[in-house]
Amino acid sequence: MQTEVKKKPPAKSSVRWLVPVLSILALLLLWEGVVRLLNIPIYMLPPPSKVAHVAVAESPLLFRHALSTIWAILLGFGLAVVIGIPIATLMIYSDAFNRAIYPILITAQVLPKVALAPLFIVWFGFGLIPKVLMTFLIAFFPIVVDTLAGLSAVRPESLMLLRSMGGSRWQSFWKVRLPTALPHIFSGLKIGMTFAVVGAIVAEFVASEAGLGYVLVEARASLNMVLVFAAIIWLIAIGFIFYFAVEYAERIFVKGRSTKRSQELGAGL
Amino acid sequence: MDQTSASFIDIRSVAKVYQSDTGEDVPALSSVSLKIKQGEFVSLLGPSGCGKTTLMMIVAGLSAASKGEVQIEGKKIVDPYTDIGIVFQNAELLEWRTALQNILLQMEIRKLDINTYIPIAKQLLSQVGLSGFEDRYPDELSGGMKQRVALCRALVHDPDILLMDEPFGALDAMTRDQMNIDLQRIWLEKRKTAILVTHSIDEAVFLSDRVVVMTGRPASVAEDIKIDLPRPRKLGIRDSSEFNAYTGHIREMFKDLGVFTND
Repeated sequence: MQTEVKKKPPAKSSVRWLVPVLSILALLLLWEGVVRLLNIPIYMLPPPSKVAHVAVAESPLLFRHALSTIWAILLGFGLAVVIGIPIATLMIYSDAFNRAIYPILITAQVLPKVALAPLFIVWFGFGLIPKVLMTFLIAFFPIVVDTLAGLSAVRPESLMLLRSMGGSRWQSFWKVRLPTALPHIFSGLKIGMTFAVVGAIVAEFVASEAGLGYVLVEARASLNMVLVFAAIIWLIAIGFIFYFAVEYAERIFVKGRSTKRSQELGAGL
Repeated sequence: MDQTSASFIDIRSVAKVYQSDTGEDVPALSSVSLKIKQGEFVSLLGPSGCGKTTLMMIVAGLSAASKGEVQIEGKKIVDPYTDIGIVFQNAELLEWRTALQNILLQMEIRKLDINTYIPIAKQLLSQVGLSGFEDRYPDELSGGMKQRVALCRALVHDPDILLMDEPFGALDAMTRDQMNIDLQRIWLEKRKTAILVTHSIDEAVFLSDRVVVMTGRPASVAEDIKIDLPRPRKLGIRDSSEFNAYTGHIREMFKDLGVFTND
């Protein structure tokens, strides 16, 4: 047997989990304390205990609307992935396509997409379509940009190596370019996913009769701040679940690249 | 003795001119001619950035010559030559693949049966002192270890030609000495036609049958020196007068070529 090269330090999982849990608990306690001490009226800022109660008590209503929001996020984000990654790939391989699509891409990004929401109502009414479209538009850009950066990050020597093996274009994409790009693509997906949640809510503010964004607007109109906060809690939960789903996928697909070493050897720098 | 009589690799008046961004012609190679026999170990020795790598890429068919041509076994090279193994200065291992998987990339791309080659790859790894490291990711290997894996990847498919582009340039002096010993041993076993691009005079003389000394940019052949030292050569040979006669002569040449000044 050979000697070990590098040993990974044992993970102290109990301590690792304790710190973030404590920090969130402290924040909630502070909130509760401030509201009670200063006697802040409930229509201004409800205490977290009340919010938690309503978030559970109103869960049938919130769940029904959450489903609508979740659908918009899933479809919009899915569309952004299915269209964004192939577009970035084409941009890498075709200079003409790159030059053709680039100005359109930048224009679409600098354009405030919220401004399109009233148009969407005219064109598509108050259904699922305007929500999906808005979510797609907002999630699309970071996915394309990061995929582009990732696909360009391949080392020319790696491609030369593949050519000397008689490798085809398809093989070099599949075996080298795409795996090289994966960490970049996943950072794009993570940003895209958080953007997608924003996109769905914004669309629901303006052009919807269902979803948690719609609940927010309606509850605020009747000064039901507890329900507003309860809906926000649900949104946070949805955001968390989707974000960690992407991160989980990243852990499965991105192998052999640990940031652990740089953290360890960098000693906090 | 010369059973293959004709040269195996025939570099015929190869020149290379690059276009700079401003449209100017930048000459990298000026008419290089070189014949290399099968099983010969030839070093291209010259200052950094003199066009040695360019010449190697043209031999591999990865870059086109502006003038002249390269023939391998009498056939003109137009596409990448695939009966070849290449080692670059950086190991160029794919970081998401283990050492073994990196070596077996050759098989995947060439559509060879992977299971047949697993024992061969493992044997190569043990020959370079890396048995037990098959399942390590590159991130867990030292620079010297990575370069050994890259060497195994260049040899696993048993190619005719082994090209090495300053493969040990990034390694420390001690690791480099060990790599030279290992490379000589493996080469003596397999007798590949080998071209080594290097800027280390000692390394070139230690490893080669012939050292081709190249001038600065645009590169051409200054002298083609046959190294008549018995093999296997041990590190101690570098202290011998015969060895130093070669290295001293080459150093003088580089001085004449203006590579070293104020010496």
